[in-house]
Amino acid sequence: MKRVMLLLLLAVFLVSTVMAGEVPVIKIGAIFPLTGPAAATGYKLKYAVEVAQEIINGTYPEIGLELAQAAGLPNLGGAKVEFVFADHQANPEIAMSEAERLIRNEGVVALIGCYHSSATKPASQIAEKYGIPFVAGSSSSAALTERNLKWFTRIAPHDGMETVFFFDYLNYLNEKFDAGIHRIAVVYVDNEYGVHAAQMVKEKIKNYEEYGFKLVADVKYPTSATNVDIEVQKIKAAKPDAIFHASYIGDMTMFVKKYKEFNVVPKAVLSYCGGYQDPQFVINLGKDADYFSGPAATTPALFEKMPILAKINDIYKVKAEVDIDGPTLEDFASAMVIAEAINLAGSTDPEKILSVLKDHEFAAPYFVSGKIKFGPDGQNIYSASVMTQILDGVYEAVWPETYQTKEPVPYFPAWKDR
Amino acid sequence: MLLQVLLTGVLIGSVYSLVAVGLTLVWGLMDIINFAHGEFLMISMYTTFWLYALLKFDPLVSLPIAVGVVALVGVLTYKLVVKRVANAPGLMALLATFGLSLFIRNLAQFLWSPNYRFVSESLLTDKRFIIGDLIIGLPQLVAAVGSFAMTLIIALLIKKTKTGRAIQATAQSKDIAELMGVNTERIYAITFAISGACVGVAGALLANTFPVYPESGAMYGLLAFVIVALGGFGNIWGAFYAGILIGLAETLGGFYLGTQFKYAIAFLIYLLVLQFRPKGLFGW
Repeated sequence: MKRVMLLLLLAVFLVSTVMAGEVPVIKIGAIFPLTGPAAATGYKLKYAVEVAQEIINGTYPEIGLELAQAAGLPNLGGAKVEFVFADHQANPEIAMSEAERLIRNEGVVALIGCYHSSATKPASQIAEKYGIPFVAGSSSSAALTERNLKWFTRIAPHDGMETVFFFDYLNYLNEKFDAGIHRIAVVYVDNEYGVHAAQMVKEKIKNYEEYGFKLVADVKYPTSATNVDIEVQKIKAAKPDAIFHASYIGDMTMFVKKYKEFNVVPKAVLSYCGGYQDPQFVINLGKDADYFSGPAATTPALFEKMPILAKINDIYKVKAEVDIDGPTLEDFASAMVIAEAINLAGSTDPEKILSVLKDHEFAAPYFVSGKIKFGPDGQNIYSASVMTQILDGVYEAVWPETYQTKEPVPYFPAWKDR
Repeated sequence: MLLQVLLTGVLIGSVYSLVAVGLTLVWGLMDIINFAHGEFLMISMYTTFWLYALLKFDPLVSLPIAVGVVALVGVLTYKLVVKRVANAPGLMALLATFGLSLFIRNLAQFLWSPNYRFVSESLLTDKRFIIGDLIIGLPQLVAAVGSFAMTLIIALLIKKTKTGRAIQATAQSKDIAELMGVNTERIYAITFAISGACVGVAGALLANTFPVYPESGAMYGLLAFVIVALGGFGNIWGAFYAGILIGLAETLGGFYLGTQFKYAIAFLIYLLVLQFRPKGLFGW
């Protein structure tokens, strides 16, 4: 009996010693599509957030970010950050219930996610209800920052900004290369992301009518389409010069295959933040992916010009086996920003974190803009993308000319000539 | 343009038919709802994909192997899952196969990641016929011909062979079939194997054009349920015609009313048919 008592005492002593030396852990919820149709992308986002966690909790002096210099959050006694992942399966209702679970059961102090705008919308409503900050990375529906939410901020440019960017780019192609692009088709998936992107096209095109742009086709397709044959035939019948796509990786790939089969040869295809930006797009389609375009927060072609980004990519690539892409970098940024806000607040008090988020200008040397600052509506006012075009299998930065790694090709060659 | 839309509808519909023919056998004839039917399709597509990726087998060469693999999965599903709940209320088999479908889907994601994969080069890839304005993709044409051939083989097998007659007898009354000396256990296993073989063919042919990923069978599985009910439970040619009808409804409705409605139209037809002909268009 004495021996048992001694063992128990020893155990209690050991546990209390370990507890005393334990660094506090701050939990942040990260909700992504880890199963379901967008799981492939969801895992890349998860890897990016894990990289952010490694950089914050470890020491990486070669990465010139403030939180990379010392292990943990210096203003909170070196507290470690733990991102608690949840899976929304591309389902808005699950996103909502997972947000609630993370806040109530896991005790997270902030949320990031959710890639799908349709999932970010309800999840951020839950954050609003509980009064904790939500930093969205890559969700691009403009509607998200039009809700006057107190606790919501977003890193990525929204689809309204992207639409203006598209028209400005097409104007550039028309002026510089006499591309003759005027007839626009918008093709989009039937959810928050796609529908809102299409709304933005219909709204913004009015400001560009003087340049001769007109909408000739509006093609919406179901989220789990088994095929896109009829959609492509509708697009072909409308004879567009440029197609604006709001599609995810699986459907986008099916569209390209059908464009080839039905010999659809527009002059430009511009994609909102989604499937095009996923490096799997080039892996899946090989040379058929060439000449497609879209805005991106980054591209591997820029790594040479941006050494910090290149170092972050080195850590990311070990996990994901592909280079970091635009949406992934935006979700990486959301993880870094919320951790930095907690550190600057010196506390996990939501009001203090929010005040930092609203007032502070965050350094973001991994973006071409170099910084992040949220406006009164929660939108990052420095959201900056480059227009990329896939040329010889590489995402080249083609516009604005300041960041150009290659000149754009303002037409699609015939499919058989690739 | 109308001709192209009609042709696309027939080609898409014939693939739906092939998936549905397999389902009508187990659901219509055996009265067992196999919720994992779409996942069987996914297994066939992955079999084809991996044979292509690892051994450079063309999907047409892999087809018999995919058929064998999915037929085996069908038999195992019966022996290990369905048989154990066969005497429980009907809902149990449904729930068991629903659980199986989730298991297979998640296992695929665990083993092969959720990435979309493609058979990028095959005998059929990017080949097409152009007749005037009409474009016919060779992979779709081969899938349609394969679908018709497979339906014909299954129909003949059920009608003309001793095993086929035993399947019909078991479907009508398991007890009486047993009294007549039919080994109903074996017949159930064979039916699951044939059903698996059908989706095996469909999956191998679909892998030529469709991305392969853990969810790739889900929508096909759902449409197959509609087609079976529309065609009449257990009616093999009924499933074939109903598949084409759904394909045509999808393309015509999608083209002339709006692509966002293409599945809604298919499901609306199904609801209307159920109102006026509850046993399906070709049911008896």
